[in-house]
Amino acid sequence: MPRNPVVLTLFALPATLIFLLFFLGPFIYFVVMSFWSVSLFRLSRDFTLVNYLDVYREYGYSVAFTFAIALLIAVIATLLAFGFAYLIRFRAGRLGPTLLFVTLITMFGGYLVKIYAWRTILGTTGILNTGLIELGIIDEPVSWLLYNPGAVVATLTHFLLPFAVLPLYGSLRGISDAQLAAARDLGARPLRMLIDIVLPQCQPGILVAFMLTFFIAAGDYVTPRLVGGTATAMAGNFVENQFITALNAPQSSALAVAILAVSAGTVLLLRAVMRRTLAVR
Amino acid sequence: MTASAATAVASRPQADRPPLVRLRGLTKSYGSMVAVKPLDLDIQSGDFYALLGPSGCGKTTLLRMIGGFTEPTAGTVEIDGVDVTRMGPERRPTNMVFQGYGLFPHMTVRQNIAYGLKLAKLPAAEVETRVKEIIGLVRLEQLAERRPDGLSGGQAQRVALARALVMRPRVLLLDEPLAALDLQLRKAMQEELRRIHRSIGGTFVFVTHDQGEAMALANRIAVMDAGACVQEGGPEEIYGAPRTRFISTFIGEANVLPGRRQGGRVTLEAGGSFADAGADEAVVVVVRPEAMALGGNLPQGAVKLTGRLADSVFLGPYVRYRVELPGGGEIILHSQDFALRHRLAVDDTVEVGWTTDVQRVLADR
Ligand SMILES: Nc1ncnc2c1ncn2[C@@H]1O[C@H](COP(=O)(O)OP(=O)(O)O)[C@@H](O)[C@H]1O
Ligand SMILES: [Mg+2]
Repeated sequence: MPRNPVVLTLFALPATLIFLLFFLGPFIYFVVMSFWSVSLFRLSRDFTLVNYLDVYREYGYSVAFTFAIALLIAVIATLLAFGFAYLIRFRAGRLGPTLLFVTLITMFGGYLVKIYAWRTILGTTGILNTGLIELGIIDEPVSWLLYNPGAVVATLTHFLLPFAVLPLYGSLRGISDAQLAAARDLGARPLRMLIDIVLPQCQPGILVAFMLTFFIAAGDYVTPRLVGGTATAMAGNFVENQFITALNAPQSSALAVAILAVSAGTVLLLRAVMRRTLAVR
Repeated sequence: MTASAATAVASRPQADRPPLVRLRGLTKSYGSMVAVKPLDLDIQSGDFYALLGPSGCGKTTLLRMIGGFTEPTAGTVEIDGVDVTRMGPERRPTNMVFQGYGLFPHMTVRQNIAYGLKLAKLPAAEVETRVKEIIGLVRLEQLAERRPDGLSGGQAQRVALARALVMRPRVLLLDEPLAALDLQLRKAMQEELRRIHRSIGGTFVFVTHDQGEAMALANRIAVMDAGACVQEGGPEEIYGAPRTRFISTFIGEANVLPGRRQGGRVTLEAGGSFADAGADEAVVVVVRPEAMALGGNLPQGAVKLTGRLADSVFLGPYVRYRVELPGGGEIILHSQDFALRHRLAVDDTVEVGWTTDVQRVLADR
């Protein structure tokens, strides 16, 4: 690595510019805009909290619902991914790299492909219904498999799993076999070993896995539309609606900022709880 | 090596006491690969015991079977009269210092050392006194609140040692404890280990591929080769009376001279012969460099060979000579007759020899 500060700055410049230009800039713009209002399809640059009041009054339920469903997805995906990453690191032996490679491959499988795969599985003419009829368990195809929150959870968890596996595997790789053998030698049973040795060293990985899955799930609006049905309107759908159909950018900005704030708060809370419970005593 | 062999603890506990560790027919195979062949071994209480052998000979596998980390394919491990063969490491009265140490990076030195005692649910006050005591023993007082990534290799090694010792194991197992340290530190840590072993009077079993280290530390050595224990004994015994050609060259330096025994007389390929009872067969004669004599120093009745002096090096405590024999072999010789060196020049024809009481005659297999 070059040591020269000028060279280092030059190296960091493109990424920094992209980050400022395409992420931080628009983000600040949306935050500012969330305090503006729209009258007669024109932006008026005043300062008002009415958008946030509306978030609370009109979309409160939707934000809470989104939060709950994203939390559920993030928790399930992180837990499953932890088990899978643990298997790859400590149990799979020489099969480990292959499993990891397969995980990576499924990430390239694409987002819509997975959505349609789940529609194929859960639909009225889908694999599950056909199978159940074949087995004689049901006479008629059931329609409630698809178009409900459960289908959203299944689809998004499936899609997000590899995103969670990678950071978890990364942090598990830092734990040597000798550490686990030493813990066992000192009298630690498997559960104690997990709590005292493995999890504390996995905190960054857990946090990143949770964050990735939670943020993506909370912001998604395609999956709920395609497999969620009418009862599953997540906040992302309203953001999209307000932006594109109602042309009320300030309102949708406020909604987006609210979701972001709740999400960030959740992640910070998780971090604090982990630090406390996994602290060495 | 001769010097360190003399400093090793020579006292051997009475053999009529039951051994602390008793291995019987202990075997480990991985598929068709036999890592440890059926092996019997007794380790007495108070021993500083070395498992010595070249890389890949099965030392670690054997140590892990004693500690309970590797399940034997056959045979038994008995510690203190109890058959522990089917017990995991958490239930055995052993603790291990691992190669690479395996310190917990998220814990301080003190927390690392206290971990096992806390798991055992000892009262906090006792944990504190025992940790303090052991930290004093391994001299880590200044570093107790540091984390492992802020430690040097030697310091990390002492933490690993303390973490195992604080559990007061009946047997402490160490896998290549000093291999990761540089030479100077290794010498210092050897002394440290001897001091710790003396002061707590426990039983240590360690694995090493370094014969000098085995000599320097152990009062008892098992030499392993290709999964088998080829000789077991005190360091003086193994150095002075190696049972095979492999051991004689693996432990210390040795001249190995091929020859043949015929009708109670051995004749060397390089010339020279002596009376030796035994079957007619190919043999090798093993003589240590310091047991050889040169030129005018040859004792009465010595076996003698003639060769060309190829090299002489003054090494401080002794002079090292290399003599090339006519048949293509050579002899290494250490002499403390410093005056002799000035009377000899390279390329001189010289006589080397030894008395039969310092040689070992081994069947050449
Ligand atoms: N888990 C294992 N699976 C297969 N072979 C192994 C395993 N552990 C050790 N071995 C083999 O057993 C032999 C002895 O290994 P080891 O006991 O580690 O030797 P050493 O410690 O003397 O260098 C080696 O050939 C090694 O490759
Ligand atoms: Mg080894």
